Amino acid sequence: MGVTKEQVESSLTSKLNPSHLEVIDTSGGCGASFAIEIVSEQFEGKRLLERHRIVNGALEEEMKEIHALSIKKALTPEQWKQQQESEKSKSDA
Amino acid sequence: MAYGNFERLALCLVVTGERLRREQLTMALRWAMAVSSPNSSLHADAALPKFSSTKTLYPSQGTFNFPPNSTSRLLFSGPKSNNFSSTARTLPFRCFASALTPQLKDTLDKVVKSNKVVLFMKGTKDFPQCGFSNTVVQILNSFNVPFVTVNILENELLRQGLKEYSSWPTFPQLYIEGEFFGGCDITVEAFKSGELQELLEKAMCS
Repeated sequence: MGVTKEQVESSLTSKLNPSHLEVIDTSGGCGASFAIEIVSEQFEGKRLLERHRIVNGALEEEMKEIHALSIKKALTPEQWKQQQESEKSKSDA
Repeated sequence: MAYGNFERLALCLVVTGERLRREQLTMALRWAMAVSSPNSSLHADAALPKFSSTKTLYPSQGTFNFPPNSTSRLLFSGPKSNNFSSTARTLPFRCFASALTPQLKDTLDKVVKSNKVVLFMKGTKDFPQCGFSNTVVQILNSFNVPFVTVNILENELLRQGLKEYSSWPTFPQLYIEGEFFGGCDITVEAFKSGELQELLEKAMCS
């Protein structure tokens, strides 16, 4: 039972067309708990709550098996770029 | 054993409850509880199948006591009710088209609107039974704002119904001023950004 990391990735990729996606299985093997970082243009102009709803919606089928889904980041490509740059400048300094 | 008897008796009363007036039902349930489990922590009012947000709220504890699976008893009433046993509470509710009955929706409307901050969580604020729920409790505690919690583990129908009510698949679920605010991640994020503090201050002043 449970869901695999690949299933979560493929659902998110096909539905949200993310420019960056990282899925981490935090369940310790049972496939019921995941952490996600996702960057998609579909988040443009949406509040965080709406972004989470989009992700939850994309994983509707999987959510039946998933106990905990932690969405670490749900950013637009623009925000992602900014974050990457600020992190880069921090490490450079 | 005493509890099992009580459950059967309670179901009996629920099934025949349509004919009984509400007061009579309350009296009967009080009697049933006194007889079957004198030390029970359950409240007679809370055991009534009809949710009432004003009656089940105990402000001193800041906790709602939803009756354990009481609505499920209503659903199981009818010809099948003869077979009612304690196993009924573990039956999966997915077989029903919708767990969010109009009655439950009304009750939830009342609960989230009559309290500024409501947290639907696993466990209680003093004894959270899930790390994510605990995180949100700690955040709310840090602001020192009054909030009520509802333990969704006590009532499977409530748990399923809430998922539909909030269109949110997981718990905890935080409501501020009658509006769904978010789950654990969103609350943590808003806590870090200061947005949550702003919102809570606004809610407390209104």
